[in-house]
Amino acid sequence: MLQYLSILLDDTSVAYCHADNPLTERYLIPLETLRKAILFGMKENLMIQYVYPDYELQEEYNALIESIDHVKIGRDVVVYNEVPKKITAENAVLRLSIADFIAKQYDIAVLLPQIARLNICLTDIETFKDEQIEEYQKALTTLNTVLLDQYKSGNRPQLSILTDRLQLKEMHNCGAGDTNIIVAPNGKFYLCPAFYYDEQTGINNRLNHHNPTSERSVGDLENGLQIPNPQLLKLDRAPLCRICDAYQCNRCIWLNQKLTWDINTPSHQQCVIAHLERNATRDLQRKLFDAGFAIENEIKEITYLDPFDVRKNIN
Amino acid sequence: MKDEGLVVREGNKGWQEGRAKNITFIVTKDCQLACKYCYLVGKNVQERMSWEIAKAAIDFVLNREDDPDFDYPSVIWDFIGGEPFLEIDLIEKICDYIKTELFSRNHRWFNSYRFSFSTNGINYDSEKVQRFIEKNKEHLSIGITIDGTQRKHDLNRVYKNSERGSYADVARNIPLWLEQFPGAGTKVTISSADIPYICESVLHLYKLGIRQVNINCVFEDVWSEDDDKLFEDQLILLADAIIDEDLYRGYSCSFFQEHLGHPMDCVYDNQNWCGAGKMLAVDAAGNFYPCTRFAQYSLRDKEAWIIGNIRDGIDKNKLRPFLTLDRCTQSTLECVNCEVAQGCAWCQGENFDAAKTHTVFERSTAICKMHKARVRANNYYWNKLYRKLEKS
Repeated sequence: MLQYLSILLDDTSVAYCHADNPLTERYLIPLETLRKAILFGMKENLMIQYVYPDYELQEEYNALIESIDHVKIGRDVVVYNEVPKKITAENAVLRLSIADFIAKQYDIAVLLPQIARLNICLTDIETFKDEQIEEYQKALTTLNTVLLDQYKSGNRPQLSILTDRLQLKEMHNCGAGDTNIIVAPNGKFYLCPAFYYDEQTGINNRLNHHNPTSERSVGDLENGLQIPNPQLLKLDRAPLCRICDAYQCNRCIWLNQKLTWDINTPSHQQCVIAHLERNATRDLQRKLFDAGFAIENEIKEITYLDPFDVRKNIN
Repeated sequence: MKDEGLVVREGNKGWQEGRAKNITFIVTKDCQLACKYCYLVGKNVQERMSWEIAKAAIDFVLNREDDPDFDYPSVIWDFIGGEPFLEIDLIEKICDYIKTELFSRNHRWFNSYRFSFSTNGINYDSEKVQRFIEKNKEHLSIGITIDGTQRKHDLNRVYKNSERGSYADVARNIPLWLEQFPGAGTKVTISSADIPYICESVLHLYKLGIRQVNINCVFEDVWSEDDDKLFEDQLILLADAIIDEDLYRGYSCSFFQEHLGHPMDCVYDNQNWCGAGKMLAVDAAGNFYPCTRFAQYSLRDKEAWIIGNIRDGIDKNKLRPFLTLDRCTQSTLECVNCEVAQGCAWCQGENFDAAKTHTVFERSTAICKMHKARVRANNYYWNKLYRKLEKS
């Protein structure tokens, strides 16, 4: 069931997830389109998230934006594309390549005492190699050490890839097309911004064969949402994910269709990274337990990093 | 089933069923025929496999002894087209090389392999094909496709660039084929136009000496409004003939199966229908596919699902959807809850081609009413046969 409507206010609106925004020319959403998008959100009872560009909007836009409850991505939620010296926002996103995440692990660790919540987005998951497993594990361990100290001193900073799984008892993923939908400045719906970027840059469309062009929209504000095969966006139609307990995994369907060509099937890279994080959270949980913290949601020990490798046992 | 010496012939199971890796060489995309129901929409004379590509593909496969995806006790080397025997010189070279390599590598597949062919039978009696058969007969499976009576066969199986039927050119080779492969079965395809000739065709094939008739409706959405009723009528006629003439003792027709048309469970009965993704197909360009139905010449609306090539290997991410497929995940709720689901087949390639999105997880249901008609006729068949066997 849809819960969130994200409105890209401009073609250059900030990228806040895996995919970079390759669009460099400003195209501000027309005021009338914005009005229709807000109306759609209100009628469908959706929480609205505005995705901001890096410039200030005119007053008439601000007035319309403030006419409804919302979150401002790129304003309230600050997005960083490199590790900052300091984070003051309560809620921030840090987008990094895997190599940068590993290289800057100590710089990130320094930030942890400052944050309420930091979402880590790895921007090149598709390039991850099994040879990087050990390095990624080490980086997670570095961050765990600081998180443990913070917990011991009474702080509870949230670092998405390491602390979310402490609480989660079921999958909590990006929900593109299922719980979230995007409106782009052209007034069309997309499953997530990455599909809009692909369309705008002419990347070949494997999502909807009825459009041999790069068209990636799933409806528009005039005619409503028209998601083809919406059942395939649900967890119960994802054979690997539905038996997986790396609940913090993003389950990025854009990466799925890019790497496995099927929107409900995660790649090896996504599964391995999610399981390294899951297992690191398990380590953190055990250390918290040893330090006297109560554990209600025990994470079990498993012997695999990719559920695909043990699918015969768990199917 | 067996009943005091009265044996009802069952269809042959495939060689080493489920225990053999299937490697398919698409040696050519050309064929002498242009069968009207053929799903190969992109046949052409240009895409013929070269020896260099074939050899590289064999080396690629045989170098994967430690790869779990190739960890099978046996192998079936499948040759398809178009018409594979158009490339008999290449095929002979491929088979010679495979045998030599299996021996010299002391490979586990040495002496546990089959060369498999599905041919239109037109040049079956040629000197080159016969020499090949003689040389490899201990390791061969060859199926000739003959569609039934001449009028049914020639309705669809015509020469390209003409409407001339191919029946006579195929039928003359049937005795030689049956002499060399006495237990062989033929594959019959049913489309809308030839429903009226099903009964006469199966009986005709029995008269030709073919004891196993593997027959199926095309999976494409070709069916007209009353085709299911006509189909059911034909199967009832066929059931009467098989039972009344005691043909069930020595002949089989895959339309009639004892365990068919029951509800299915999503936990205990959830396997995928076919082996797409477990098999490996290679074409003239050296590209790999999860099955031949994902090569471009098989697809109307979709781009080919290429999973790799002989130079770069297999991108295993592209295989993950196939290897995690199960019945219920790809089925509609109507299919999941269907009272007669058992035996309802699908083709993964056709599912993909007909799907609304780029997925193998959307099952085509074009065949639904034909399956239900088959189930009704099948029930009739077994009820009548049981009654007869009880009385005898």
